[in-house]
Amino acid sequence: MEWMITADEPGKTYLLQGNEAMARGAIEAGLQFAAAYPGSPSSEILTMLGHVAKDMGFYAEWSTNETCSFEACMGASMAGVRSLCIAKQNGLLVMGDALHTAALYGCKGGVVLIVADDPSAHSSTNEFDARHQARSASLPLLEPATFQEAKDMIKYAFDLSEELQQVVMVRGVTRIHHGRGNVTLGELPVSKSPLNDKPSQIENWDKLFAINFFHDAMYDKLNRAQASFEQSPFNWYRGPKDADCVMVVSGMGWLYGEEAIDTMKLNDQVGILKLGCTWPLPEQFIVRHLVGAKKVLIAEEVDPFLEQNLANIIAHHPELNVEMYGRYQARAFPHSKELTPDLVINALADIMQIELAPKPGVNIEPERQVIIPPRELTFCAGCPHRASYYIFKQALGLQAHGGLIMGDIGCYTLGALRAGHYGVNSMGCMGEGVNMGEGLGQLTRFGFDKPVMALAGDSTFFHSCIPGLINAKYHNSNMLFIVLDNAATAMTGFQPHPGIGLTAMGDPAQPISIEKVVEALGCPVTVADPYEIEKSIAVIYKLLKEPGLKVLILKRDCATLTMRKGPKRRVWVDTDLCRGDDCGCGRYCSTTWGCPGNIWNSTKKKAEIDEVVCIGCGVCTTLCPAGAIKIEGGEE
Amino acid sequence: MPGGIELKTEVLNSSACTLCGACLDWCPYLKNLEDNLVMPFACSVQDGRCYSICPRTFTDWQEIKAAVFQSASGTLELGTFTAVYKVRSVDSLNGQQDGGTVSRLVKTALEEKEAQAALLTASDDNITPASMLATNAADVEKAAGSRFLVAPGLRKINEAAQKGIEKLLVVGRPCQVQALRKYQMKTGNSPMQVLSIGLFCMWSLSWTFKDYLEKTYPGIIIDKISIPQHGVEIASSQGTKVLPTEKVKEYVQPGCSYCLDMTSELADISVGAFEAEAGWNTVLVRTPRGAALLQKAVDKGYLTLEEYPEQQLQGLKRASLNKKARNLKFIKDAVDNGSLKAFIDLSQPEYEQILAQAEGTVNS
Repeated sequence: MEWMITADEPGKTYLLQGNEAMARGAIEAGLQFAAAYPGSPSSEILTMLGHVAKDMGFYAEWSTNETCSFEACMGASMAGVRSLCIAKQNGLLVMGDALHTAALYGCKGGVVLIVADDPSAHSSTNEFDARHQARSASLPLLEPATFQEAKDMIKYAFDLSEELQQVVMVRGVTRIHHGRGNVTLGELPVSKSPLNDKPSQIENWDKLFAINFFHDAMYDKLNRAQASFEQSPFNWYRGPKDADCVMVVSGMGWLYGEEAIDTMKLNDQVGILKLGCTWPLPEQFIVRHLVGAKKVLIAEEVDPFLEQNLANIIAHHPELNVEMYGRYQARAFPHSKELTPDLVINALADIMQIELAPKPGVNIEPERQVIIPPRELTFCAGCPHRASYYIFKQALGLQAHGGLIMGDIGCYTLGALRAGHYGVNSMGCMGEGVNMGEGLGQLTRFGFDKPVMALAGDSTFFHSCIPGLINAKYHNSNMLFIVLDNAATAMTGFQPHPGIGLTAMGDPAQPISIEKVVEALGCPVTVADPYEIEKSIAVIYKLLKEPGLKVLILKRDCATLTMRKGPKRRVWVDTDLCRGDDCGCGRYCSTTWGCPGNIWNSTKKKAEIDEVVCIGCGVCTTLCPAGAIKIEGGEE
Repeated sequence: MPGGIELKTEVLNSSACTLCGACLDWCPYLKNLEDNLVMPFACSVQDGRCYSICPRTFTDWQEIKAAVFQSASGTLELGTFTAVYKVRSVDSLNGQQDGGTVSRLVKTALEEKEAQAALLTASDDNITPASMLATNAADVEKAAGSRFLVAPGLRKINEAAQKGIEKLLVVGRPCQVQALRKYQMKTGNSPMQVLSIGLFCMWSLSWTFKDYLEKTYPGIIIDKISIPQHGVEIASSQGTKVLPTEKVKEYVQPGCSYCLDMTSELADISVGAFEAEAGWNTVLVRTPRGAALLQKAVDKGYLTLEEYPEQQLQGLKRASLNKKARNLKFIKDAVDNGSLKAFIDLSQPEYEQILAQAEGTVNS
């Protein structure tokens, strides 16, 4: 899809994903530098920018973590370069300190920070609302409500950023980032060097210092942003003049609000005040449109951010006399989770005291009904993490007091579910496992008798585990730190990381060996292959006997990478050897092992391999007690 | 018949397991490393072989004895036997324990095709046990000498059956011989015929004993462990260390304290130390197959027999009775407090007799 973000076709309209629209917007704005750490739903932006960076004459990188990416943008900005940083809500919090200090000194080249929130946490552990950080750091905040805005706001944000010399945050939500809509393209910039042919444009006294001296200046920037927002084309009012009821919306609230008004044919009665600039709020603009209203329904995601800031304005304007309905006040909407068109329709109907006709049901004759089987969240067929958790369950089962697994964030988080035999004791944010493990591992001295293991993926290792590992090593915590190295940032879509040897722009790089990093810290390190089940169990069993900090790297490529690499070995069940339900194994391959490639043929009453999903890893061939699962090139 | 879950709750979780190994390698649910035997994943099998052959699930001794021995008669202390001898090998074998009788019996069985393979326990470091299927003299020599750490050797019967071995010799601890007999009862001794040499056993040790030795004597390289009457002797690179038996008993495998069988009463032939004189074994001949094997070893000139002194026989009986009485009390207590499910019929009169006869003599 990269051609659409670089197409030199101003005025032409394409169906773009929100992420594509934002990438296009950045290119139209004359982007010169981009950096991010992957995080759904924002990951596609830097992937696409990385692919086109060389052709378009800018730089793009997958940074090791979000702090790296944001501070790299600030550094580039110091030289006058327009820089784009992209993160998800968790990533924003990772860079929190950097963000707040940067807000004190501001920027030179425009810095735009795109934050992708995930209301209802479709691909996150949480649905934190990023907007609080904009307010906390005193940064101007924009919220696109359409796909066209997703593009146009980026250019506006860059211009504003340079005008104010302040970072500008653009906050989207999953339905914007991963949704699609019509976007009319604008002009591409005349291609030029990022440094505008001025290689030495940082002067002696061009310094970026975070000192409190700048606090008032920071507020001044915010006031100037507010003045600009009063005139912004991203805020508008639609509906009857002096409507009794006004919906105040941002983000997805706009589309849902419009739909609700249209559906209930309330266009003559209900107004809609759409805000694209949500911090600081355009106070005069809002007051102007709410002055005659009696009821205000605020539709936003997720926290009552807009609602509470609006309440502040109302408190200072006695001419406004409205009842507020939102997530916090009167609970027009649930306190958590994303909005839906139905939620907005119901809330509006309640306020307007309209009785909604029951929704027409859909009648499908029984023979045409398709029962969609429920699907569990599980590891892919052949996933090395399944083997790892299978190993952990047994290695800890062999311990007198069991043991703990402090989890982390990545595909292996699914190990908290059945796929990992419910094996994980904690799972929160990136880099957490090693630190929580360090703490528990210190309790051995008080008689704590459970062995402690902590997990991290390879990308997570680089992202946030190294200080934790140093801490655990220096204080010799009694724990086993396990890196599940599958040579991929698999969960977010195979973005390269420092262990891979490839950059976002497709250039080769010298890969950094996790093993050598660990060794350099003076930690004893063992490398094992999770596909070798028995061997790995014995390795963990042995390591858990040793005191102090131990590190194990369970190394095996992600099954999806393996599958992409080429022909797979065929795995099949020898139905003469499979004893079916007479075996006594309780269908071990398809239940306890549970790989989607291992299925049960209910007609033949024998185990079977689903050759479509099987990647030919062959691990199950070593688990069948009857030796009935065979692999091409293996023992006959 | 119950299955894996019951084995887990009644045996594994009750610390009743002796690590005989009979339940291992039939299914993927039971997992062993060193002296740990666990069931990490829930098994849903209702009728499990593991449960039916475990020596710590209900065992009908009367039924087994009736099947194994022509006459169910026998002594209370030593079970059924037709002869008892003082035995030793004619020449000595590197690493052999006491009289070296077991090694010669195994050698004889393999040479005379009484067995195609023998289930033995070897060790690379003279302490860590490693179960093996021996098929030749070199293997047998490797396995010479006793191992005192528990080893789940019986797991190999599955391997032997899969290899198509029709005649197997098993050298095992009393619990292993019990499990073997339960296995034979279940499979009807087919297609694999099994001959058993049972060892005398007071208890086996959990593997933490090895950790204890390594901690107490760092860098120790063990040549041989033996248990003469004055304690536990560790012959090693650091000289011979003698540990008080009471110290070593701290490391006894918990399941061993529920054992009433010192002399492998269900074996074809039982072999133990001869306490009164170093370099000799005590041999109890129990079945005609056991007798035939011993005779062949003597005929081949491997073993020499002597009449067993009556005084020593009384001593052996007393030792066995003491073990039975002591451990019977452990069983009764554990059953009474609900921590153990009775695996023998405690209402049998012989158990009353054991306690009555041991009255006043139990002191160890």
